Amino acid sequence: MISVKNLTKEFPKKDGSVFYAVDDVTFEAKDGEIVCLLGVNGAGKTTTMRVLSTVFQPSSGTAEIQGWDIKTHPDKVRENLGFLSGDTGLYNRLRVHEFIRYFGRLYSMDDPTITRRMDEMAELLDMKDFMDKKIEFLSTGMKQKVSIVRSIIHDPPVMIFDEPTSGLDILTARNIVAFIRSCKERGKCVLFSTHIMREAERLADRVVMIHKGKILADGSLDALREISRQTDLDDIFIHFVNQSDLETEVQAHEF
Amino acid sequence: MNSKKVMIVFQKELMEVLRDKRTLFTTLLLPIILYPILIVGINAIMTRQTGVLEQQSATIAVQDSVLSSVSRSIIADMAAIDNYSFIPAGENAQELYDSKDIQAIVSIRDSLTSEGLTTYHVFVQYDAANERSGMVYSKIRDSLAGSEQRIVEDHLRSRGMDPQLMNIVDVRKIDTASTQRKMGMMLGMFLPYIMILMLLTGASVVAADLVAGEKERKTLETLLVSGIGRMEIVIGKYITIITLGMLSLIVNLFSISVSVKYMLSQSGVIMDGAQLPFGAILILLAAMLPLATLFAAILLSISTFSRNMKEARSYEQPLMMVAMMMGMISFLPAVEMNNLMALIPVINIALLFKAVMIQDYQLSHLLITIGSTLILDVFAIWGTIKLFNTEGILFRSDDDSGSIKGIKKNKANFFNPYNGLVYFSLALMLLYYLGSYLQSKDLATGLVQTQLLVIALPVLLILRLLKMKSNEILRIKIPRLTEVLLIPFIAIPASIIVALFSQLINAIYPFPETYLENLGQLFMMDLPLWGSFLVIAVAPGVCEELMFRGFLPRFFQKYSMKINIVLSGLMFAAFHLDPFRFAPVFLLGMLLAYLTLRSGSIINSMISHTLNNGFALFIMSFAGAPFMKFILRGEDDLHYWLLVPALLVLALAIYMFHKVTGDKECVE
Repeated sequence: MISVKNLTKEFPKKDGSVFYAVDDVTFEAKDGEIVCLLGVNGAGKTTTMRVLSTVFQPSSGTAEIQGWDIKTHPDKVRENLGFLSGDTGLYNRLRVHEFIRYFGRLYSMDDPTITRRMDEMAELLDMKDFMDKKIEFLSTGMKQKVSIVRSIIHDPPVMIFDEPTSGLDILTARNIVAFIRSCKERGKCVLFSTHIMREAERLADRVVMIHKGKILADGSLDALREISRQTDLDDIFIHFVNQSDLETEVQAHEF
Repeated sequence: MNSKKVMIVFQKELMEVLRDKRTLFTTLLLPIILYPILIVGINAIMTRQTGVLEQQSATIAVQDSVLSSVSRSIIADMAAIDNYSFIPAGENAQELYDSKDIQAIVSIRDSLTSEGLTTYHVFVQYDAANERSGMVYSKIRDSLAGSEQRIVEDHLRSRGMDPQLMNIVDVRKIDTASTQRKMGMMLGMFLPYIMILMLLTGASVVAADLVAGEKERKTLETLLVSGIGRMEIVIGKYITIITLGMLSLIVNLFSISVSVKYMLSQSGVIMDGAQLPFGAILILLAAMLPLATLFAAILLSISTFSRNMKEARSYEQPLMMVAMMMGMISFLPAVEMNNLMALIPVINIALLFKAVMIQDYQLSHLLITIGSTLILDVFAIWGTIKLFNTEGILFRSDDDSGSIKGIKKNKANFFNPYNGLVYFSLALMLLYYLGSYLQSKDLATGLVQTQLLVIALPVLLILRLLKMKSNEILRIKIPRLTEVLLIPFIAIPASIIVALFSQLINAIYPFPETYLENLGQLFMMDLPLWGSFLVIAVAPGVCEELMFRGFLPRFFQKYSMKINIVLSGLMFAAFHLDPFRFAPVFLLGMLLAYLTLRSGSIINSMISHTLNNGFALFIMSFAGAPFMKFILRGEDDLHYWLLVPALLVLALAIYMFHKVTGDKECVE
């Protein structure tokens, strides 16, 4: 499971001031649950996920992945985490099996285990025909499958998907969506981010709406519908954005 | 650190690199093909061409103004040269020579010495820049040497003397250098340079790919979220660069030595049992390893800093240039290895190389070289790991603050450290080229023009273009009276201290004569005293201050005042393009920067600068005057005891200045 507590990530701006990419964010994602981080571009989704996957250090606050703190045990966090994004690059000069084995070894797995896992996944994702091919000769769909295998070769309990379908065609995107569902079925904790409302609607058990680094709303779709008195997710989102802008204005007047 | 994971990264990177045809070609295949072609091929062509040159015919005009038996015999000797035809020089000889119809003109004249002896003068007119003409000269010279020998011998005989008299002093050289060492000397000259270059080329191709390339291909994040720590990633990549650098070096060396060996055996050089010194080369390869690690660390940090491969490759260029220039030290005569040189990276390897090749090196030098390089290397790799852990660097985003578009968008952006360095470099170039051109015509006018056109004008022009308030930016503001009153008590003692400092440096490490002469010219200009004062004191006092204390600190205003003072001093000293006065000028620059930044008024440092330069002018102009005996010893040296009162007055004056100006630091 993922638990995020008062997470803040700031970046210095050129003029010396600070930009809050993620501003005091708190939420949870339980095992067997798909949680969607929903927000427009630049809302802080990717930064949140980069902090969760230990690529960035949090400025304040923290998060735990499967009980491991991202600040104190980054190596344990990475071991328990599978990370996949829409535009991950691959090492073109490696063959598919070499590529997957490389990441397996980096997770300290022994070779027989890697081979077994790889065979299973190749069977499951229908990849047997191109396991010996060099990655540069693969199609986008094939590459996406390779990325999937890479992200779960160590069978992590927590999966994070950053805009997993961005830039993919419908058929390839469908593979990903199916894969996310299968993760849930196997009891994994899944966090994925998107700016596409339909995707959130189709996949998520719970939606965490993020805007300008802050959380607007957190709850199941039904709950959010109830609070906002809107049915369409687009409208729900806009409702919460308007509400937050109003609050900021009021605060600005108070000072 | 998990060494197993480091090895996993290393193996994978190596496999990937070796599968890249481009890298494989430039680092391994190219040298294997290139050197045989270059060394053997070009040598063959050269040998052939030299043969062609020797066979070439030539026509030479001969003008014999003596017409004696001796001059005729000289001409007869020359006529025996194969393929050359000699024609009497007519009036059009010079025309024929100019149109290259003839390759040389030989004219023979004579003169009488006071003892009544006839001396023959043979003039050979030829074009040394033309290979064919040069060959003609060397053949004629050989022929003339033979003629000379014969004529002198005949003369001696005719006077009843033994021709052996000519050989009464017989000079012979006894060369103790073995062929081996001679070859070592030759190799020691150019091999270090080539080896350093090969090492860097091999390593840089890979280095750019390893981090910047991963950023470009968006694989870096994948690696960062996988089961490996950042330090392991850095070390794994670092070992890959070292390996490839050394591999490329070895392949290059092997290819060169095989080619050279083949060339030598072909050209029939008597090797006299001399071998290519493989043993020495092995020692040097071992010594190259620390350098390889140092280069690898620097290259890796460049790669980490760069956003993409292209950027990495362009940032690598300065490193290549510096290393190449340092490697060239082996070409310089009379530079020898010592403990100090052994501390300087690259230079130490080049000199060590030279010494090892002539079998004349000290183990201590080898150890210092390896040790000092390794220490630097530790710092460099530590810095790289730091960089790799700095999010702002590893995920550096695009910034256009340096571009014209960026400046227009946000004028405040213009004043950033990067632009400051660019401006400083441009100004330095302008000074070097335009300034020296201006001063070459007339020193006094040139100096004033340099100050106005090179130093002050660009500053004012830029501020004008950016529509900024020059007065505000350059801190042009009337200072308080108390400040101004204190300035002479700061400027004059400071001048004395700086002058004494220069004197001290000169005493320990004497300046070259020509340097002192050039400096002296400054004060010998054909100007009245007030004119010299304007040129030497006022113009720099105003213009240089505008640039160094007004304009440049604005670029670095995000740093503290202390850093700004040091930076200003450094740039001021560098700008004088004078290694001998670097330290004194640095001190002076810092003082002037303090005066402006502390008080917020550039007028203070302008007055101080003018007074300082005026003081030097005063000393030089009145050096001979009787009243100067009090402070001068010898021609124009100051008494060392002056240091004490100068320091006291300066300290007191600065203390008061500091008090008067209060706490309004102007670099926020």
